Amino acid sequence: MNPYILTILLFAMGLGTTITFASSHWLLAWMGLEINTLAILPLMCQSHHPRAVEATIKYFLTQATAAAMLLFASITNAWITGQWNLEFMSYSLPTTLVTVALALKIGLAPLHAWMPEVLQGLDLTTGLILSTWQKLAPFYLLLQINPSNTSLLLILGLASTLVGGWGGLNQNQLRKILAYSSIAHLGWMILVLQFFPSLTLLTLLMYFVMTFSLFISFKVNNSTTINSLSMSWSKAPIISSMVPFILLSLGGLPPLSGFMPKWLILQELTKQSLAPLATLAALSALLSLYFYLRISYAMTLTMSPNILLNALPWRLPSNQHTLPLAITTSLTICLLPLTPAIITLLTL
Amino acid sequence: MLKILIPSMFMLLTTWTSPFKQLWSTILMYSFLVATLSLTWLAMPTDTGWFYINNYMAYDPLSSPLLVLTCWLLPLMIIASQNHLAAEPENRQRTYISLLISLQIFLILAFSATEMIMFYVMFEATLIPTLIIITRWGNQMERLNAGTYFLFYTLAGSLPLLVALLIYHSSMGSLSYLSLTSLPLTCSNLYADKLWWMACLLAFLVKMPLYGVHLWLPKAHVEAPIAGSMVLAAVLLKLGGYGMMRIMIILDPLTKELSYPFIILALWGVIMTGSICLRQTDLKSLIAYSSVSHMGLVAAGILIQTPWGFTGALILMIAHGLTSSALFCLANTNYERTHSRTIILARGLQMVLPLMATWWFLASLANLALPPLPNLMGEIMIITSLFNWSFYTLILTGLGTLITASYSLYMFLLTQRGPIPHHLILLEPSHTREHLLLALHLLPLLLLIAKPELVWGWTA
Repeated sequence: MNPYILTILLFAMGLGTTITFASSHWLLAWMGLEINTLAILPLMCQSHHPRAVEATIKYFLTQATAAAMLLFASITNAWITGQWNLEFMSYSLPTTLVTVALALKIGLAPLHAWMPEVLQGLDLTTGLILSTWQKLAPFYLLLQINPSNTSLLLILGLASTLVGGWGGLNQNQLRKILAYSSIAHLGWMILVLQFFPSLTLLTLLMYFVMTFSLFISFKVNNSTTINSLSMSWSKAPIISSMVPFILLSLGGLPPLSGFMPKWLILQELTKQSLAPLATLAALSALLSLYFYLRISYAMTLTMSPNILLNALPWRLPSNQHTLPLAITTSLTICLLPLTPAIITLLTL
Repeated sequence: MLKILIPSMFMLLTTWTSPFKQLWSTILMYSFLVATLSLTWLAMPTDTGWFYINNYMAYDPLSSPLLVLTCWLLPLMIIASQNHLAAEPENRQRTYISLLISLQIFLILAFSATEMIMFYVMFEATLIPTLIIITRWGNQMERLNAGTYFLFYTLAGSLPLLVALLIYHSSMGSLSYLSLTSLPLTCSNLYADKLWWMACLLAFLVKMPLYGVHLWLPKAHVEAPIAGSMVLAAVLLKLGGYGMMRIMIILDPLTKELSYPFIILALWGVIMTGSICLRQTDLKSLIAYSSVSHMGLVAAGILIQTPWGFTGALILMIAHGLTSSALFCLANTNYERTHSRTIILARGLQMVLPLMATWWFLASLANLALPPLPNLMGEIMIITSLFNWSFYTLILTGLGTLITASYSLYMFLLTQRGPIPHHLILLEPSHTREHLLLALHLLPLLLLIAKPELVWGWTA
């Protein structure tokens, strides 16, 4: 893509999220979300592949619906309470409607159906932007309005973890697996939103770091299916030996950093006397772990019987900039001992 | 404590920076030094009570034998792995050794943890290196299935444990072992409390393993390479037993009624898995099921909650760790020669490898709990405390002892005695390292006859 156009689009995406962050008026928040959506659409269909165009259309329609629902909810709130401020939503209808709209925006179950197909149509970098940056603005709004409809959030959360686990089991396309993993992690974030909002932010940031590592690892291998990962040992042996750790961290296994959000969320849920819910959510993480493990089997722990007659790619010099990958991979693996410091930072 | 933990961590650094030609000797010597230093943990001036290193790490007469076993096992694993890894590229050899060392670090941290969440994190942390060892360096296609079974059985049991520990923490405020004895959960008869009791124990019962949830063990033990089998049999199963002993304190008084079915299941498992051993064609599978059998007895001993029960369980854990690891090493000597685990393919070995037959004999005698070996001491104490609880358990335990003796003898006679098959035309003579390996396994076992006070914990 023309670098000037790319710059404009990326700036516009940043602008949209920043406007939402800076807003205390519902119309400004809605405007930021719309700018954000519109800016990413050209990025999504830049390859002009039919699947990419279809993904763009689906994304546009769902996000526009969600934004319209958001606008409707804020107008209803203004009609009832007479003010447009983000934090002062006290009636249940607007609050619930905003929660459902934002759930559609980020892709929580049962409003998740667009996510796998949209991610499948994008290339890995745009998919990364969709999974990480696009979630920031809706989460900001969710944290601001502080929804207190207990059962709605818990149902959204539990359904997302279960759907994210079960849906990914039958996939061999990496982008769809990443979509279901995203749905599952968003479920964990929503579970604890009304009890300890800082944990939602922590889970979101940890998820960003882990997903970034995974997307970029897949991009370095230029692979979009599990089968094509099986030759990654010849392209980038060190990355392929680190990816099982990234995947197990996404699955929430101690002593990797992915355990930290799950542990803290389970602690908060048990403090709120929701122990059976905590157990169900923890066990649903095992479903996701199964397909993460399957990817690591294909990539690192088995060697496919291909006979290579050429110089292995890792022997040749490469131009790839892997510093961000190195940083995020280190954070994905080694951050657990810093948990007390992170909790202190969050509760400041 | 830190003078053993920090050198173990730096062993990782040594693995990656040693010159390749001296890698194995360096690591072996280093790990022997650490193992010798770890013997200082056995010296305990008082019989009970903790030896604090800092607020987070301590050891007491229950954990120190297990810690010493962990540290002792690393050099043995290094000796055992050197041969089958010799053909691999350099970096993969270094990676393998790093996995073994990191496993030891996690195990030291697990056994010396003073707080239950730290124990939980390290308990789970040991799964990752073991998973990688089994699925990457195992030899057959079934290793993937084995890794999956291993990971998921253990995790499905331990996630409820995490929730149970967090529940206890939120109501009692602390999960430190030091205060557990004074903070039992108040007695109530709600169904939720029974579920909580179950959640606390399930992880350890799966890890031990208890008979109904033992399916991961034969798969994992058989498919793992020799170092994986050794560490699984010798130490990782004992993590389950150790965790159970620690957590029993807070589970009173629910355990009086609730443990009933699990004791019976454990004893039934002793008989069932012993009987399965008599029908096995795969040598490693036979030893794996024998592990399940012995650990069933350990589980019953712990669930009984008497001083003799706990002591017997601890002694049997240490003795079984050494014996089972020795048997896996012996099976590996067969595997390296014939590349097959089928028992009947390598018979009559006493004629061909007479010196190895001595080790087979000693290991089989240890497995069938011959006096005066500590195996018997542990089994007798558990059987006695079970008899005290109910007379009828003697039927199950007596039958179990009989079956154990018969399959150990069966294994010895089948591999060592009888005519040599005609297809065995070229078997390498026993290497010195194989003799060394087995001597290092069985000598501590024999020496423990002289001073069992080292391993009988704080109750006897």
